[in-house]
Amino acid sequence: MTIATFPPEPKPEQGWGRYFGFCTDAKVIGIQYIVTAFFFFLIGGLLAMVIRGELITPQSDLVDRAVYNGIYTMHGTIMLFLFTFPVLNGLNNLLIPTMIGAPDMAFPRLNAVAFWLVPIFGFLLIASFFVPGGPAYSGWWSYPPVSIQNPAGNLINGQGMWITAVALSGVSSIMGAINFVTTILRMRAPGMTFFRMPVFCWTALAAQSLQLIGLPALTGGAIMLLMDLTFGTSFYRAEGGGDPVLYQHFFWFYSHPAVYVIILPVFGIFSELFPVYSRKPLFGYVYVALASFIIVGLGLIVWVHHMFPSGVAQWMRNLFMVTTMLIAVPTGVKVFAWLGTLWGGKLRLTTPMLFCLGGLFNFVFAGITGIMLATVPVDIHVSNTYFVVGHFHYVIYGAAVMGIFAAIYHWFPKFIGRMPYEGLGKLHFLLTFIGANLNFLPMHPLGLMGMPRRVSSYDPEFTFWNVVASLGAFLLGVSIIPFLLNMLSAWIRGPKATHNPWNAIGLEWLLPSPPPEDNFGEDVPTVISRPYGYGLGKPLVEHQDEIERKLELQEASA
Amino acid sequence: MTSSSTRSINATAVAGLSLWVGVMVFISHWMGEQAHRWLPVQASTAAPLVDDLFSFETAIGTFVFLGVVSVMVWVMLFNRAEKYDDTDAFPIEGNTRLEVIWTAIPFVLVMGIAFWTIRASEQLGTLGPMEHIHLRNSVEEVGGYPGDRLPAEQVEVIARQWSWEFRYPGSNVSSTELHLAVNEPVTFRLVSEDVLHGFYIPAFRVKQDVIPGRAIDFNVTPTREGVYRLRDSQFSGTWFAANQSDVVVESAEEHQAWLEQAARSPLQPGLSLAISEYATRQARSNPGWATVPPAHPPQVNVPGSPSQPHQA
Amino acid sequence: MTTTTLQQPGAPAEHEEQPKHNLTGFIIFLCSESVIFLAFFSGYALLKTSALNWLPQGVDGLEWKTPLVNTIVLVSSSGTIALAEHFKNRENMLLFRGFWLMSMAMGAYFLYGQAVEWSGLQFGFTSGTFGGTFYLLTGFHGLHVATGILLMGLMLIKSFIPGNYSGGEQGVQATSLFWHFVDVIWIILFLLIYVWQ
Repeated sequence: MTIATFPPEPKPEQGWGRYFGFCTDAKVIGIQYIVTAFFFFLIGGLLAMVIRGELITPQSDLVDRAVYNGIYTMHGTIMLFLFTFPVLNGLNNLLIPTMIGAPDMAFPRLNAVAFWLVPIFGFLLIASFFVPGGPAYSGWWSYPPVSIQNPAGNLINGQGMWITAVALSGVSSIMGAINFVTTILRMRAPGMTFFRMPVFCWTALAAQSLQLIGLPALTGGAIMLLMDLTFGTSFYRAEGGGDPVLYQHFFWFYSHPAVYVIILPVFGIFSELFPVYSRKPLFGYVYVALASFIIVGLGLIVWVHHMFPSGVAQWMRNLFMVTTMLIAVPTGVKVFAWLGTLWGGKLRLTTPMLFCLGGLFNFVFAGITGIMLATVPVDIHVSNTYFVVGHFHYVIYGAAVMGIFAAIYHWFPKFIGRMPYEGLGKLHFLLTFIGANLNFLPMHPLGLMGMPRRVSSYDPEFTFWNVVASLGAFLLGVSIIPFLLNMLSAWIRGPKATHNPWNAIGLEWLLPSPPPEDNFGEDVPTVISRPYGYGLGKPLVEHQDEIERKLELQEASA
Repeated sequence: MTSSSTRSINATAVAGLSLWVGVMVFISHWMGEQAHRWLPVQASTAAPLVDDLFSFETAIGTFVFLGVVSVMVWVMLFNRAEKYDDTDAFPIEGNTRLEVIWTAIPFVLVMGIAFWTIRASEQLGTLGPMEHIHLRNSVEEVGGYPGDRLPAEQVEVIARQWSWEFRYPGSNVSSTELHLAVNEPVTFRLVSEDVLHGFYIPAFRVKQDVIPGRAIDFNVTPTREGVYRLRDSQFSGTWFAANQSDVVVESAEEHQAWLEQAARSPLQPGLSLAISEYATRQARSNPGWATVPPAHPPQVNVPGSPSQPHQA
Repeated sequence: MTTTTLQQPGAPAEHEEQPKHNLTGFIIFLCSESVIFLAFFSGYALLKTSALNWLPQGVDGLEWKTPLVNTIVLVSSSGTIALAEHFKNRENMLLFRGFWLMSMAMGAYFLYGQAVEWSGLQFGFTSGTFGGTFYLLTGFHGLHVATGILLMGLMLIKSFIPGNYSGGEQGVQATSLFWHFVDVIWIILFLLIYVWQ
């Protein structure tokens, strides 16, 4: 448990090489996370294209049914465990230390180990495509008994590898969470009280606390699943007296909060970016910050709403419906706060701002379908249909991934030191926004009509909306091209960024772009006011003018 | 948005805002009406309850969505920074009264929806107590039927990978096509022989997972004659998508006649698309990724037709 | 971590200079780890209360007397490790090592007792949910006991490094915290498995 102390690290190399090695600098690890995540994003996206290709016709004709099931399972698993969580951990690594003025994370070596687990379990998951019998095929939920049927009959099988990979992902996430929480609790700059902390750090703290409470439950459930699959125990096997529904409790006790683990940092991103690009303070900072923790509390007691038709009693349905509905209140506080921030501002519709606005638009839509899903009778009709698929893709892609793109465009100049291109960025936004809505909106009528999710073929009456959704998906596939082009060319030959190209307020913008390895080093500025002081004319830190003058001089001489 | 607005501007603003709220109310109401059209035909007593709730939620949701989007569009049109203007806007850090309002209103709203929903659920009463197989209650104890009518019929539903079997113990009939009499309450006893399945009839707006190791009682009253789809709604393996069946709702006389005729028909293999697809698949030199082989199709009196047109 | 000033416990720490991040991180880890046990406990309770035939055929309950002795040994080791920590803080390294070693021995005795019990049972982990949960809970806990003993061994070796007090202090504190955690888990486990039959 003397897991890591501040290691007296040798001077690390500055070139490209450090991105491929065991580096303990949080900023390098952050970029490693994000690049790795996008590598897997492309794989997951390719799988999505196959799924939508299959579903463009009613018959099961593009791929074999078993292949389809494997592909949709891996699409979900890769997108969550290898894209969304790693990309957010990447942002955490970049932003938390720089935003709170820490030189690095609390446990730099643990941090590097947590990252390097990602390619390892990623490899394990991808390798499961090539084992005899194929990969896991029981959905990213892996509900038993389907997930413990093991049709290939081998000891090493896709499902077993899937469980191992997910468990490793859990280990990596727990390591990350311990690190982020400790860093935020103990390494803030002088003067940075909790209520002077940027909202992104609040939401990261909230999200990582959820990881710490929720993930072990999934891990426990997964251990039992693996034992059922491999060693013939019968925790979930009805023949042996087990209960398949027990797994669902374990699974959703984590996997519903997991949605908040994803969306809370995105709320943080919105709360950071709306003030910058509307030149106004965040409306009701304290409420926005505290709402995150109300969401954490409520988020832990809603999981049964995923199981309304799974055989739970009516009183449980009602109870969990009420808790689920209550989440709308703190979420509403945030949404209204963002609108209040925008209202009467001086909006600059840059690429990150467009992604934020688009993300907010999609999120509000997703929130409304979420309320519909919380009400038991409606949920009974649409649960496990495409309505749900549409709903969570609005949340995950429409809101969270859009927010992640916003964050990448916004902080790219800070951590890479070069400016991304606006034209390509706006094209990327346009294609993403149209593609996402074209892809995910038609799923709602499909679900209402009664098309179950996870089907490889469907009745002909569902054809029209499926064709529309598939076309949207292909557009979404194309939308990634301008993004990759933008990132690559900007990284290689984009215009040099100043220390604060967006004229934003925050500790990270008082660092050179890109920041030096130990960030502020010995001279961590003392924070004297709340974040987002746009238009208030109060400096954020002591001697702010001096710091900025020094940075400008550095830039002028470079 | 300066504080120096004159009275007349305020009056215009109030009038404009009221007009716009009126328009939003109108659109929301219209969307609520439209919502019924997005759903399949209503073929059970549960359907109107679900649809009305959904329609109500659509209306409320539309209003909230339009409200938020109106603000977003407004600020994007009228609160843009001028070119080369890099000054800050007038700083407003918050407003406690507003915070209280927009905490209280959503709270009241969602609690209202929750209250409506709990009442609708009570009326629905589709579900018997969640029982394990050893807790079987007699039908009378299950209760919760709309109109306090006892079910005329009990149907045993057996789900397998990948076929549905319906047994009518009173008439000694089994079938892979579900036949029900219109306006007659029916109780299903849902049993699975292998994995989780979902008993889902969209036209009835009912869905219940079928859980191995449990027998779940489930009540429904069909209200409309026709042919509807029954779909497996909980992923059950390779041929999950093909695990569908037809539900035929017919008049009481027709239903009685069907039962009598079915009882006289000889047993034959029931409908199972998975069986034939599995055979073709295994005939290939490389059958591909592993799959659980389909269970033997049940021996039934009436296999039903795979290509019968259905209404929802 | 280059400052080697020795501080009395209770004296205000020279914070910022000597961050106690490790202990913070470790406490967070323990909180998280307890949820995994909570998951197993609730799974056990759920399966047990809903089971038709909880005990496998031919098994009519668990013998609880020997496990009770084991329990007493394990729980008392929480006291000895606290004593060891106390003497370490007094810089009495001899007594520290003595009590530390004693705690290790008691932990090892517990594991031995567990192994004896396991080998004498007539059911395996595939004997229904009872067998599965019994071996899962005791095994997973046993794994923690073994980890604790290893950690204590590590700390014991570290105590021989001269001048390791400042670095080792958090280690000893964390290890004894872990040991208390393992004991508390065992008490709940004992109540669940042996007392609630």
